Amino acid sequence: MNIPVKTIIEALIFISLEPLSNDKIKGILTEFPPEDVDNALRELTTDYNSPGRGIKIIEVAGGYLFSTQPELDSWIRLLLHSDRKSKLSPAALETLSTIAYNQPITLAEISSVRGVDASHALKTLLQKKLIKIVGRKKAPGKPLLYRTSSKFLRYFGLNSLEELPSAEEISKMLEEEDDR
Amino acid sequence: MDSATPYQINLDVFQGPLDLLLFLIRKHKIDIHDIPIATITGDYLDYLSQKESINLEREAEFLLMASLLIYIKSQMLLPRETLPEAEEDPRKILVDKLLDYQKIKAASNLLRQKEQRRLPEWQRSFLPPRPKTEELELTEVSLFGLAEAFYFLMKKREQQDLKTIESKEYSIEEKTREILEELRVHTFLDFTAFFERQETLEEAVVSFFCLLELIKARKVVAVQEALFHPIKVWRRKEPVDEHSGQNYH
Repeated sequence: MNIPVKTIIEALIFISLEPLSNDKIKGILTEFPPEDVDNALRELTTDYNSPGRGIKIIEVAGGYLFSTQPELDSWIRLLLHSDRKSKLSPAALETLSTIAYNQPITLAEISSVRGVDASHALKTLLQKKLIKIVGRKKAPGKPLLYRTSSKFLRYFGLNSLEELPSAEEISKMLEEEDDR
Repeated sequence: MDSATPYQINLDVFQGPLDLLLFLIRKHKIDIHDIPIATITGDYLDYLSQKESINLEREAEFLLMASLLIYIKSQMLLPRETLPEAEEDPRKILVDKLLDYQKIKAASNLLRQKEQRRLPEWQRSFLPPRPKTEELELTEVSLFGLAEAFYFLMKKREQQDLKTIESKEYSIEEKTREILEELRVHTFLDFTAFFERQETLEEAVVSFFCLLELIKARKVVAVQEALFHPIKVWRRKEPVDEHSGQNYH
């Protein structure tokens, strides 16, 4: 019985509902050298991401996951009897980016950055599990502190928070825009 | 005001006072670090006054910003006593806020693009609740659930036509066989329909009793898709392991 490591990894990613991390795969495939796992993963993602496939392997929230190709949206929605997935409201999105760039952060701080009360948007984001409470700030009133969750990464197709452009990069972008 | 607003803009399109201010700054092509505070304050107040009434709950923040602008404007008008370099620009607090907010706004736009790219892609754990099929996860109906359903059915029948004076006798064995036979033919039995077929109260009670016995003996199972959904009785497929008393699927 000589099953290629690539084949096993394919099955592992397929069956996992959460993004399956490289470490976790290596933890299971201990009989294979780590380099072989890395190579197989690379090959597998290339295989799937070649044209003509209905599904692809994406790297999000620090793991690998099967995802359908965007062009197939309309047929999938027919199968699932589902409407188009809804977008986040502008207020929710703005609150989310405030948190992403300033985490951990309190409600008062978010509201101060946005210049409006953010409690409603915060509630929506908590319900959607895009953010999480990570503790309380050692400040008067001990306000709750919020962070983005791993579902946040998944939702936006990010592998980690580092994939977001840094605050400095954004400032630069804005300056260039102004110069034009 | 030198720049009368050429078109009406609804305040609701702005995420807040900072958003409105940024819009005005862009509109006038103003350098954010050197805001002509008198112009911008006038323009800002114009926008506010377009609103016939101010909803305090929603627009309190817009008013707060208006007061900040007016405060800064007044500070700028005051004669300077100290040397200019030692003095902090009264606009600084506003500029810092605007710069921070501008970044957040840009980040929001980036996230929106990413979201846009993501939305038409589907992943298995993101699937919405499955459409209703017979393979839905079913929950077993509790004894109380059954008793309650039975009670309401009989109450309903009572008002209709349930005959109580009849001398026909019903045996438990016979009824049990009847139920099992029905399950063999129809694979499942609709709880409501089944009891509506019972001719007398006595027959219904005997049938109900049989059903409970069958459930207890784990020969059949009463399930429903969710609370208040129709109750269906199914025959249990695999023989139950007597020792563990567990039924693995």
